[in-house]
Amino acid sequence: MKPDRDQPNSEPVIREHTFDGIREYDQRLPNWWLYTLYGSIALWFVLWFISVTVPVLPSDRVRVDAAMARVAAAKLAGSIDVTNDAKFWEMSRNPVFVDAGRQTFNSLCVACHLESLRGKSENPAAVGPDLTDTAWLHGGTPKEVYATASKGVLAKGMPAWEPVLGQRKTAEVVAYVLSHHQPGEPITVQPSN
Amino acid sequence: MSASPEPTSSLRRARGPGRHAPTRDSVTTINTDGSRLFLYPADIRGRFTLARRLVAVLLIGIYLLLPWIPVRGYPAVFLDVAARRFHFFGFTLASQDAWLLFFGVSGLGFALFFVTALLGRIWCGWACPHTVFLDHVFRRIERWIEGDATARRTRAAAPLTTGKALRVVGKHGLYLLAALGITHLFLAYFVSIPALWLYMREEPAAHGGAFVFVFLAAGILYFNFAWFREQLCIVICPYGRLQSALSDDQTLSIGYDARRGEPRARVGTPDAGACVDCQRCVQVCPTGIDIRHGLQMECIGCAACIDACDEVMMRLKRPTGLIRYDSLAGLGGGRTRWLRSRTILYGVLLTIGAAVATFAFSTVKPAGFLVYRMTGAAYFVDGSTVRNQFLVRLVNKRTEKVAFTVVTETLPPGAHTTGFAHPVTLDSLAESVAPLVVSLDRRDYRGPFKFTVRVTDAGRTLVLAREVEFMGPDARLLEEEDHEKGIRR
Repeated sequence: MKPDRDQPNSEPVIREHTFDGIREYDQRLPNWWLYTLYGSIALWFVLWFISVTVPVLPSDRVRVDAAMARVAAAKLAGSIDVTNDAKFWEMSRNPVFVDAGRQTFNSLCVACHLESLRGKSENPAAVGPDLTDTAWLHGGTPKEVYATASKGVLAKGMPAWEPVLGQRKTAEVVAYVLSHHQPGEPITVQPSN
Repeated sequence: MSASPEPTSSLRRARGPGRHAPTRDSVTTINTDGSRLFLYPADIRGRFTLARRLVAVLLIGIYLLLPWIPVRGYPAVFLDVAARRFHFFGFTLASQDAWLLFFGVSGLGFALFFVTALLGRIWCGWACPHTVFLDHVFRRIERWIEGDATARRTRAAAPLTTGKALRVVGKHGLYLLAALGITHLFLAYFVSIPALWLYMREEPAAHGGAFVFVFLAAGILYFNFAWFREQLCIVICPYGRLQSALSDDQTLSIGYDARRGEPRARVGTPDAGACVDCQRCVQVCPTGIDIRHGLQMECIGCAACIDACDEVMMRLKRPTGLIRYDSLAGLGGGRTRWLRSRTILYGVLLTIGAAVATFAFSTVKPAGFLVYRMTGAAYFVDGSTVRNQFLVRLVNKRTEKVAFTVVTETLPPGAHTTGFAHPVTLDSLAESVAPLVVSLDRRDYRGPFKFTVRVTDAGRTLVLAREVEFMGPDARLLEEEDHEKGIRR
């Protein structure tokens, strides 16, 4: 005799199967639980419909692509043409770049090149060479100075700074160094001593 | 307030029309057609009811006051998600200390295991915020507006009148106000009281996220406390579902002494047990069970049935404690063994966890300090010196600006340090990386050695030190080279 499960006051239904002597009740789930499940399924269809079928809301792919495009645009806007000497000279006359470069220089580069930038010329015990004179060890054009600062001279202890600082900050430091120089000044390159 | 017990002669009247008595086979509050049976628990009074109310008032007081009490310039508990600083009673953690959460969470887990094995669902009945707010705020509002259980059940079945509508609107209005109060308080833990007050005065769009959160959370709380109630404990709460794995026959629970109570019968029946089958314990139960069926999953340990039964027993001049806090072993006539392998194991785990957590929290320093070698060669040798280059990374985890001084110590004579000529001033949460170059006159070089880099703040309240290795070639190689070049050492 099976009780009528639609009658609220009947005894619980017992399933007919028996496993290892165990029988189980067939209790009805709470309606609020079932409605939550059905509601979730319905919500999935709604979301799928408005974001995939009729893209009222942009799909994930569109949103990710848009976000990546924004990142690329921001990178492009902040990037500097590090092969353009004229651009570096222009930056070296711009107080915003030079001040930013001075701050980075004074926290990192001073340890070897000293605050005056004069390195060994000021104090023979200093590690780094003079950056204010016109004699250069690894090339004195702006793009060569940038290359030295960004890639370093590992054999002599000059670290590669671009991986640490990023392109913009490294370029600012180069602009600060160049602010101690004049465009077109005579450059002598002394190969490593 | 009416103190008289409700009609006790018939369970059908006590539980509403057409309802069977609670059984162990089904959840009372879920009808066989899946619909909800809404409970109207009767009023209770007694020592546990009073004690629980006092505990609840104390807990609500603590919840309310914590964001207001300043400790070292910050609220006692302030989870500042926006700034990623977490303040606990003057102790500040930054986001990089998130690994401590492991010890916090697992420590709470072990503590809960231990307490559950010993005392059963003491948490559920006395300290769980769901029970605290439901029993001592929302049910009080309901009782105040709609009267006792009989009045509430009668009115719920009655046709809508102006009086009924007013009461329903009043009750749910107060529910909504209470839910909004709780969610505002909850938000204050994350944004602090002054910011919350600012949010409340500015227009909603200015802090859209917080605004939506508060009203959404208030809606969920309102639904939970107005309608969902015991369903949360029975169906959703995972702690409730873990009980059977954590407790055993020696665990304290609320139980009915069947040896004393059975056979139940009306007062005056010869050879009857102490239980007079008055149904008071069933009427007061907030989850709708009959405790006389034994320990059940739905029981949240609120002790309402103890007070209800004790009141009846006292009136009948019989000893109280027919329903009482006891272990299953104790109810069966045995003795409760408090000290047993389970409580010892959980206790040992708790102690180990607490010790490790204490150690972990003691390692949290108000600054981050690292010394690492610069990229490139490990050391540089030139005509006059052997040189090592390091980068020192400092993070200020304090809430105010700090000037750090970095010094080297235990360097041999002839060594020379550049970098960190001036203190490094860092704003709260700021970090800096700067080089530290150590040069040693090659005539003084005797091979690799270790030295110490130490960082202190201006007030010297913080001293952190790291041992760093100065690397270089075998000293004899330099000696030979100098000898060949004819340099006098």
